[in-house]
Amino acid sequence: MSIGFFIVAAFSALGLGGLLLWALRGSSQRKSHEHGLKVLESAPQHLRNMRQIRQAMDAADLHFARERGGPALSKRLRSERRDVVLHYLEAIRADFEQSLHIARIIAVLSPEVSGSHEYERLRLSVVFRWRFQKAKLRMHLGNAPLVEVASLGQMATCLAIQMEEAMAKLGERAALAAELALQSDR
Amino acid sequence: MPTLTLALWGLATLLTLVILFRGVIFNQIWQFPFFFLYLFVNLLQAAITFFLYRSYGFTSSFTFPLAWTTQGIVVIARALAAVEVCFLILGHYKGVWALASRILGFSGVLVLALALYFGKNGYAHGIITLEVGLEAAIATGIAGLFVFARYYQILVAPATGQLGLGLGILSCFKILNDLFLQKFARAIGFNWNHASFCTFVAVLLVWMWALRKPIAMRIPNPIMKSAAAYSNLMPQVNQRLAELNDQLAHVWHLESPKS
Repeated sequence: MSIGFFIVAAFSALGLGGLLLWALRGSSQRKSHEHGLKVLESAPQHLRNMRQIRQAMDAADLHFARERGGPALSKRLRSERRDVVLHYLEAIRADFEQSLHIARIIAVLSPEVSGSHEYERLRLSVVFRWRFQKAKLRMHLGNAPLVEVASLGQMATCLAIQMEEAMAKLGERAALAAELALQSDR
Repeated sequence: MPTLTLALWGLATLLTLVILFRGVIFNQIWQFPFFFLYLFVNLLQAAITFFLYRSYGFTSSFTFPLAWTTQGIVVIARALAAVEVCFLILGHYKGVWALASRILGFSGVLVLALALYFGKNGYAHGIITLEVGLEAAIATGIAGLFVFARYYQILVAPATGQLGLGLGILSCFKILNDLFLQKFARAIGFNWNHASFCTFVAVLLVWMWALRKPIAMRIPNPIMKSAAAYSNLMPQVNQRLAELNDQLAHVWHLESPKS
């Protein structure tokens, strides 16, 4: 046996053991998905705040505040609004995660699952999370295009609405709700 | 044979007998038939190798191939028990099971083939390399199973999860065991054997804990009537995700409006 094979095999065994423990620890942690039911009941949670958020992100609004209240007020306003937008971004992420959660449950309950769809969703969700962190970083740095963020929120909410409508249309809502209820009881 | 080895061997046999006995008494053998078959085969192998080593000694040319052949049968029985655990966790979900069984099966075969190809080192150690490959395939399957369960947020019944954990950990340790045995047999001698027995005893204790309740928890899962919901919705979800990603790329690349 070569030393190379020995090292690779030994690290692989340790890695597999670690992966096993990590994945199993997750299984005991998945207790409550009560938010899943809320998504089904009222999917567009953050759509209601869209107008106010858009207002808060409006560059003209900030310009007006600077002209009337001076740079100090404008700076404070900008900082506060950035915090609001960061909270909003988190809400978008939460909506997105809920939509993904429901998509996963649909896959779990479905009698047929396509490998390519599943792989594509996994890939896209990894890309989303990565880009989301970058957008958040940019927001922290204070130079994000705010209108684009508002559009992002609208799109994330639309995904939830679309899923809700599709499920209702297909009459499979009962099975999904039952599974979500089952999970929240566990 | 050293006293400690004999004591650990005896303890492992006793624990196995207790689990088997309880399994028969509480009818658990019908819940996990392949797992109990593995325990039975393992017990039988222990008895056979004990008899062989006692009668012919450790260095006999007759004992070596026979002992390793019985070990091969035990590994195959463990692989069947691992497949059973996989089915018990994912089998209720037809679609995911079809996908997972293909991916996990392929991964297992790939790992086995890689281990056999890169670990080949003459006929003498061939059987050990084969065992490393099989153990690696089992460990990959079990780890992959739990990753699948985690990704799809599938609830794993505690008893089944702990049985799977034991099988996976045992396989990982068996790989290390065989590697060290093959590489440093002369240097470490019986010490490593003790570590191996201790691990097996610990895993048996995990399994005893897993099967402490006569009837394992079972949860019925609602299944959708057809695949229409999935096939209609998933392309739309993926499309929407792609649009979201494009939008995020815009957030990152576009200039902030001047204020």
